[in-house]
Amino acid sequence: MSASDIHDIEFRSVTKRYGDVTAVTDINLAVPKGAFVALLGPSGCGKTTCLRMIGGFEQPSEGDVFIGDIRVNDLPAYRRPVNMVFQHYALFPHLDVENNVAYGLRQQRPRIASAEIGKRVGAALEMVRLTGFGRRRIHELSGGQQQRVALARAIVNKPKVLLLDEPLAALDRKLRTDMQMELQSLQRDLGITFLLVTHDQEEALSMSDLVCVMSAGRIRQFARPQEVYDRPADLFVADFVGKTNKMTVTAEPGLLRLGNGATLPFAGPERGQAVLALRPEAMRIARSGASGGPLVGEVTHRIFLGSLAEYSVAVPGVGEFLISTNRHGLDANDLIEPGEAVSIGYNPEALRLYPA
Amino acid sequence: MSKSYKDNLPITASALTDEFMRFKRGSVTRRHFLGVTGLGLAASVMSRGLPGAFNAEAFAGNLGTQMSLATWPNYHDPATFENFTKATGVAVEVNVFGSNEEMLAKLQAGGTGWDLFVPTNYTISTYAKLKLIDPLDMSKLSAFSAATESPRFTHEGTVDGVTYALPKNWGTTGMSINTAKVKTPISSWKQYFEVAMTEADGRAMVHDYQLTTIGSALVSLGYSFNSIKSDELAKAEELLIKLKPHLYGINSDYQPAMRSTDAWMTMCWTNDGAQLARDMPEIIYVLGKDGGEIWTDFYAIPKSAANKPAGYALLNYLMTPENAVKEHIANGAPTTDSRVLAMLPADVTSNKIVYPDEAALTPLEFGAAITLTDPNRAELMARFKAA
Amino acid sequence: MAMTIATRKRLVTALLIGPSAAWLSLFLVLPFIAILVFSVGERAPEGGYQAAFTFAQFMNLPARATAFWNTMILAPVGAFFCLLVAYPTAYYLAIKAPARYRMLLVSLVVVPFWTSLLVRTYAWIFILGARGLPNLLALIGLPDVRLLNTPGAVLLGIVYGYLPLMIMPIYVSLEKLDCRLLEASADLGASPVRSFFNVTLPLSLPGVATGVALVTILLLGEYLIPQLLGGGKVFFIGNALVDLFLQSRNWPYGSAIAVTLVSVVVLIITLAMRLAWRFAGTRQVDLV
Repeated sequence: MSASDIHDIEFRSVTKRYGDVTAVTDINLAVPKGAFVALLGPSGCGKTTCLRMIGGFEQPSEGDVFIGDIRVNDLPAYRRPVNMVFQHYALFPHLDVENNVAYGLRQQRPRIASAEIGKRVGAALEMVRLTGFGRRRIHELSGGQQQRVALARAIVNKPKVLLLDEPLAALDRKLRTDMQMELQSLQRDLGITFLLVTHDQEEALSMSDLVCVMSAGRIRQFARPQEVYDRPADLFVADFVGKTNKMTVTAEPGLLRLGNGATLPFAGPERGQAVLALRPEAMRIARSGASGGPLVGEVTHRIFLGSLAEYSVAVPGVGEFLISTNRHGLDANDLIEPGEAVSIGYNPEALRLYPA
Repeated sequence: MSKSYKDNLPITASALTDEFMRFKRGSVTRRHFLGVTGLGLAASVMSRGLPGAFNAEAFAGNLGTQMSLATWPNYHDPATFENFTKATGVAVEVNVFGSNEEMLAKLQAGGTGWDLFVPTNYTISTYAKLKLIDPLDMSKLSAFSAATESPRFTHEGTVDGVTYALPKNWGTTGMSINTAKVKTPISSWKQYFEVAMTEADGRAMVHDYQLTTIGSALVSLGYSFNSIKSDELAKAEELLIKLKPHLYGINSDYQPAMRSTDAWMTMCWTNDGAQLARDMPEIIYVLGKDGGEIWTDFYAIPKSAANKPAGYALLNYLMTPENAVKEHIANGAPTTDSRVLAMLPADVTSNKIVYPDEAALTPLEFGAAITLTDPNRAELMARFKAA
Repeated sequence: MAMTIATRKRLVTALLIGPSAAWLSLFLVLPFIAILVFSVGERAPEGGYQAAFTFAQFMNLPARATAFWNTMILAPVGAFFCLLVAYPTAYYLAIKAPARYRMLLVSLVVVPFWTSLLVRTYAWIFILGARGLPNLLALIGLPDVRLLNTPGAVLLGIVYGYLPLMIMPIYVSLEKLDCRLLEASADLGASPVRSFFNVTLPLSLPGVATGVALVTILLLGEYLIPQLLGGGKVFFIGNALVDLFLQSRNWPYGSAIAVTLVSVVVLIITLAMRLAWRFAGTRQVDLV
């Protein structure tokens, strides 16, 4: 069994430099066949550069890029068996929808019969639910429709891998959610590898089979979404993916000492200065006087979100915590008002400790 | 011989610059070129200086500081205007034109601002009739001497006994032929047109000027230079249209093409013929045995002149023999004034191009006034060019 | 009383277009009305214009058919050759030229416009004249080659003189070409050559159309270049007009030709716009 039977795309020690600036440093990544993979990171982290190296628009300064088992470093973009959905779609303004979608098929040699092209274009448009839009001009379409044309234009070529560069960034929230689901089912139907670049962690978590978190040109974590969320590889991932409460602590045998002198029980092997990370939903809050925990503070803000309520709690000498609570009933009294004194608890399983 | 060798070299950068500078001063013989573009305008503005040899007390009254002259290119000694400016403080703006028709067109349209201009003999009666020029106040022109003028050349300046124009110089319209290129001897317009379509195919030029081009074609066919008969004009048109594909160009600006030997023969005015022969001895100047044009150019003052006192002053200055001699030596056309003739050096007066034998002049005709305004000749020329 | 917003907007509009409207009516509309009046008049006996109402001048138009035809052929042909030279230049400037030299190179295209076309065309007389190129050709054994006063010389002069007018609109349309479209084209399997013909060229067509229309229309009125480099033998309708106004002084006939020329130009522009609209499927096409 060769590597290409498992992996559609592989980066081997890839570095990309622009003059003095290094965009991507020593990346090793293997994208499994048929997976939906998200490259997640803040802007400038190198994720788009990676995508463009696969598309053939950038060449690695060092290392090799493989598509299947072919090394593609020197293969021009138009010879690569991948297609891309560009960030702003890059639809051809002088062609109608049909001709945009047919563009890739027309480039193929030997030529494809025009009846066949028509059939495939029709099928692609149906797949993105744009049947009947073939004669429309691009500027007559809404943003969501343009997005779907871009998708159809790419998938009609049956690429080995579909590259998506922030495909949903320009859509409004409702449309984005719909498209997320559409993309997922499209990927299931087509059975090809999707590689999605996004800076939106929610999008990455909700759509993909695997998330590759990047920062400053390096891969921080490559894992399944819940793994990334529940066990962030480092403080950056913890911070970037989801919300996290952090506090500086000193780890001692059997306990963690907080800034205000209070201590929390701790069984780990770490010692010395460290950063403690806790998800808001792993914490609890109760009015003082009831069974208080080691942390006591005062509610400064409350954000009511319907099924959830989020509280900001200031703990003197430690810092500000964000705590998310499920509402248990319809009793208005379950909401705590700002200014009330509270004690904070947490689920010890969810406690993560990172080097300071 | 060394001259012709140099002339055949590619033009140098400095020569090109020089040509441009001359072009800017409006002193290049490019009648049609400059006429068409109207860019030959040049002003020689000089600071007030000491009065020269000129009789300054003749300028009674205020002459202003600026005047305008409409003339032909390469037709004056630039020093003349510089000296005039020194003597009077009046700067002379020189406008150059390509044809009498064009001067007439401008005066008819109005607003020329010319204070003095240079029309040819056959146009003066029309200007007078259209009241575009003033009768001259001879009291302001003391330097002019009617007694020493040759009436043969000067009589058309007077219409019904009233003097409208004073003579500048006379001349002929002949042919300049580069004998190094054209071996067939040519002595008539008939031969000129024949050679233009055979040996000199693609190398002959005719003027962009109805009077001489149609006139010479008429002469070659045995008709009068001035004919306006429709059947004769029709034959002339036929000849010209047959000739056209064989021509190098239809252009009154023929000196550059002759000097570069792009063109081998051309219709040519006396002064240009003399200049070409002087610089390139292989270019000869020939008058048609079968006929052709003899002419006089005059000075006249437009009715619309803005600064008539200055116009009179410059005219009087130019009529002064001491000044006129310099003009004639510079432009190479023959004088009508025996006072000037007497002062010219022998090598000028013995030049047969400038002062041909009387016998050579006999077949030539002065242009007739009717040719200026005849609509058929005008339209014939335009049709020939547009064919 | 306070101005309403609508009044103020109208006032601003009037201030903005007022000067150009005044200028145009003074120097375009009024002369055109004069030409219209002249065109139905008669030539005065000594030349010029005298009042009349006749269409005789228009009946006479076939006498200039050759010049008209020459112009109608040479103007688009000249524009086409101009395009052949201009497009690669504009392409280089907009897409291939190093960014830091781009403005310098573009200004080099425009700089010759600061000197008179007359002087620049005059330089060609020296280059094409017997003391220029033919003299060099003679050195390699091609004596007596004549370049000046030929249709080829006129074409060369036209291409030279009008090149910047063709380069600039094409440059502008190529410069704003979204290079992501070329990436998309490559991504979909098109080689660079096919990307050029499928994407770059079609998207630069508005610039091409503007350049071609601009140069063609200006060429319809050209007279200087044929006069200087054609020696009066290559005759445009513009030369016929110069002759009629400055030599034969037949203002009514010249006006009739001018009116006809303007009508033909307007007709051509209208047709071209219609075609461009149909092609682009939108009315947002700026041809001129």
